[in-house]
Amino acid sequence: MTGPLIPMGVIPETWNNVIALIIGIGFGFALEASGFSSSRKIMGTFFGYDFVVLRVFFTAAITAMSGIIYFDFMGWMDASMLYINPYYVSSAITGGLVMGAGFALGGFCPGTSFCGVAIGKIDAMIFSAGLFVGIFIFSEIYPLFEKMYNSGNLGGAMIYDMLGLSKGVFAFLLIIVAIGMFYAATFVEKKVKKVDY
Amino acid sequence: MKNNKRDGTFYINPYLGGILLGLVLFATYYITGRGLGASGAVKSTVVTAVHAVAPSHAEESGYYSKFLSDDASPMNNWLVFEVLGVIIGGFISGTIYGRLKLKVEHSPKITDKRRLIAAASGGLLFGIGSQLARGCTSGAALSGMAVLSASGIITMMAIFGSAYLFSWIFKKLWI
Amino acid sequence: MNKNYIFLTILAVVIGLGILIMPETKHDNQIKPVDLLIAIDDPSRFLSTDVITDRLVKKDPTLLLIDVRTASQFNSFSIPGAINIPLDSILARSTAEIMGNKDLDKVFYSNADVTSDQAWIINKRLGYKAIYVLQGGVNKWFNTIVINEIPADTEPVEIIELYQFRKGACQYFFGNNETGSVKESNAAPKKAVVITKKATGASAGGGC
Repeated sequence: MTGPLIPMGVIPETWNNVIALIIGIGFGFALEASGFSSSRKIMGTFFGYDFVVLRVFFTAAITAMSGIIYFDFMGWMDASMLYINPYYVSSAITGGLVMGAGFALGGFCPGTSFCGVAIGKIDAMIFSAGLFVGIFIFSEIYPLFEKMYNSGNLGGAMIYDMLGLSKGVFAFLLIIVAIGMFYAATFVEKKVKKVDY
Repeated sequence: MKNNKRDGTFYINPYLGGILLGLVLFATYYITGRGLGASGAVKSTVVTAVHAVAPSHAEESGYYSKFLSDDASPMNNWLVFEVLGVIIGGFISGTIYGRLKLKVEHSPKITDKRRLIAAASGGLLFGIGSQLARGCTSGAALSGMAVLSASGIITMMAIFGSAYLFSWIFKKLWI
Repeated sequence: MNKNYIFLTILAVVIGLGILIMPETKHDNQIKPVDLLIAIDDPSRFLSTDVITDRLVKKDPTLLLIDVRTASQFNSFSIPGAINIPLDSILARSTAEIMGNKDLDKVFYSNADVTSDQAWIINKRLGYKAIYVLQGGVNKWFNTIVINEIPADTEPVEIIELYQFRKGACQYFFGNNETGSVKESNAAPKKAVVITKKATGASAGGGC
């Protein structure tokens, strides 16, 4: 079975929603069990008392990345068929900066806030409501952003191409950097005063 | 030991959590050819709601109309189901580890009200930012990193860089 | 520090080294020569000017007109709503992004349909789907939609209807800057068409 299964037609499209639900359950479980339903645990990454976000995020990224590269190499999956989010330089950076501010204020990102909602965190519910309002506002004032939203389209650009590295070298460096960060995080955690939450 | 696990303070090892999450993400790519997402589900709910309330407004708007095609676009439905799954999965985990409790979590130094105002404005900003960047932490940053796309890694650095900066500005909200 | 983490670190480094030494996988999405030959023989890639105009007037969001002529030709006259990708930049990365968009029907056009067909063949060979060619190109489009001979009243209903459609489309694109006499002369058939359009609604819909 060569993946990706649905685009290849191995699994009919009608199974889409069922698969979405199952994947979502796995996603939600992994997030909640790692502690992403607590905004104060998430914020620990930024103040140095708990680096759980950093650990989970980078472990997940390198796990999935390695899986994709190995499956592609073995011919079990056609990585060129995977969807690559187009890279619009200015809107990606501006959007990221705005999201960072929202992160620092709200203590959640959309996925984690839904986990918080699931276990009854009222602040997560308010955050999710804010998401709806924010997206509604953006859509209404879209003409103001339209130029920035559509400028600097580099298409489905790959980071290693932009840096002039080969895929393997970049992936290897990413793993090494991630391991370095994990050890640094443990070191910082020991120095920083524990916060009770 | 078992009691300890159920009092709500137990979290799985972060690396185990990361590997679980990574496998889920990998499975998503393997099965659907796309990554995970969260803000997209909110977007399609907003688009659908606006379309239901004011159809002509939605069709004329430059942004809503992008997501209103004749055949209900499958990707957006997909994300809605995925987010429903996230809520179910979070609920299962919350049940197992004893974390189901209706409460406002905040630093002891601030009031409930202040926390909720901060959460609402944070959600608002995240909503706007996620549309600009074409995805949130899960859709753009995490999924993008797994396929080593430029947008994923740049968005991730922008989110975390700015979150580090702003979290020191809003330090009083947290510690 | 937990000793077990050392094993995890080693595992991660080994996985990373594996990635480092493995040769890069090449992906060849080009279609087979036989399939290309069959596709070239298939005239269904040609869309008529009326079909395209109809979709333009209806503001079909899934339609993307691509002008493959040079930028100067594009700037002097182009079909409204078209984007310009000269044939020599058809292989650029930004083009690949547009071509890869499965939700869009990409329609190439040039002055006639030679250059646009070349663009079509290149993209077809690269394995892109939902690509078409505007039959007759911008010249045919101009001659059918913009320059529009008024049919005699004795002509069949279909012809008059087609004329009305083209006339309306032309006004839609370029505004109502026609002389008064032209406007008056088509006032009479206009009424007749409104009635017939309802009667032949199904066939008109199918044709467009």
